[in-house]
Amino acid sequence: MSQTGYSKVQIYSSSTATNTPSASNLTNDTNGSELAINITDGKLFYKDNGGTVQVIASKASNSGNFANTINVPNTFGFKNRIINGAMTANQYVSSAVTLSSSVQFPLDRFGVAKSSGATITAQQSSTAPAGFSNSIKFAVTTGASPSSSDYNVFFQRIEGYNFADLNWGTANAKSATVSFWVQSSVTGTYSIYIRSGDNNLSYLANYTISSANTWQQVSITITPPTSGTFNTNNTQAIQMSWDLGSGSTYQGTANTWLSGGYVYTGTQTPLSAVTGATFYITGVQLEVGTQATSFDYRPYGTELALCQRYYQYLGGSTTSGDQYIASGMCNTTVQARFSYIFPVPMRTSPAVTFPSASNFNVYSGAVTPLVTAIVTPGVVDYRYMGISATVASGLTVGYGALLLAENTTSSAIQISAEL
Amino acid sequence: MTYQLFQETLLNGSSVTNKVIKNSSTFIPFEPANTDYQQFKKDIQNGVVLNDAEGNPITGDALTTFMETLP
Repeated sequence: MSQTGYSKVQIYSSSTATNTPSASNLTNDTNGSELAINITDGKLFYKDNGGTVQVIASKASNSGNFANTINVPNTFGFKNRIINGAMTANQYVSSAVTLSSSVQFPLDRFGVAKSSGATITAQQSSTAPAGFSNSIKFAVTTGASPSSSDYNVFFQRIEGYNFADLNWGTANAKSATVSFWVQSSVTGTYSIYIRSGDNNLSYLANYTISSANTWQQVSITITPPTSGTFNTNNTQAIQMSWDLGSGSTYQGTANTWLSGGYVYTGTQTPLSAVTGATFYITGVQLEVGTQATSFDYRPYGTELALCQRYYQYLGGSTTSGDQYIASGMCNTTVQARFSYIFPVPMRTSPAVTFPSASNFNVYSGAVTPLVTAIVTPGVVDYRYMGISATVASGLTVGYGALLLAENTTSSAIQISAEL
Repeated sequence: MTYQLFQETLLNGSSVTNKVIKNSSTFIPFEPANTDYQQFKKDIQNGVVLNDAEGNPITGDALTTFMETLP
């Protein structure tokens, strides 16, 4: 090699265990440096500019010691910024969701919505590629070509705290790569889109399903935006989205950041137009960098806890019998108050949906439970909520009390801090 | 869609209005980061009726004044 600035290197070898070269015996000047390898220990040494002998490589069975940071941004820790990407967690116990203009969740963290004449259902499925157990299945029961203002989409909204390190909207913005496994009965071109949390910017990209009813993995690298607003707190940073058939109002150009809310590139066959069409997706991963890496399998308990930051489901079980969901005390002869600590602190103070029917009993003092007429929340915080239960009569002030949710899905309390 | 203010009676007997009930079942806190609360404010701006805790519609200046007090 004759390049200016480089000189020859000589390598010396030792077979003596633990024999480490001394600094005085290794040169590192511009006339030629030396390396030393210990073939018994399986270590390679050099002398750095400070005159210290360093190990720069060791055999696989040796542990590695790193004096500085390891710069492999998408390999360690919270690699996948998508939560529930393997579609395993499903606190939403309904069997299927029929898409409407209101955002609904067929399983945790993935929202669906549509504005079209098509009838589309979405639900958790056990159909999955090798290495996965679940997916989301979309089924078009009645197809309809989208009009100009129609959309059929699903998405996951990502919280700013989980995305801030990508520095989107700044000169230091980092590339991201989304990958997923997909299968559809309808071949052709499909679109994904990413929106800023304030809906002012969109990025579209296409992928192709080339073989019907066959799992394939898709990988798309997103050019990072250096301007725009991407929240870095507990509000929405971005929305990672998939189009299932939308109209010309939402048509935009692929592979560039656009001002406004766009959904598709206009080149695909809309799935929503095909009666009987199916579409499955799982293994969704969004990571830093320009390469898709292996799926970030997290323990199920971890994944569920991540989901519960956004949604929790209390009571409403039909498999565990009546459920004591909270303990408290009677503050009047007709009212008891309870405290419920969320198992996971939520993203923000949640909205709480109580069933309209009287599906709760109060146990206090007497053996016979008292059927409640009204159950309402008390103080609601991101960490806990109070519950008030009002009965006709029979409570004793100061007595302890238990709140029981009956063994029916009708007793479900839904707690939502979704983005 | 209906919205009605929810008046909570505290243990000391005082009352506080810190939530709105959507469709008689979903209790939404007055929390700016809550997306249901954000939607509530948009809906009222778009003309959806807001009832007080007794079920009476809040209209005109009273509605404007109340909405301005929200976070």
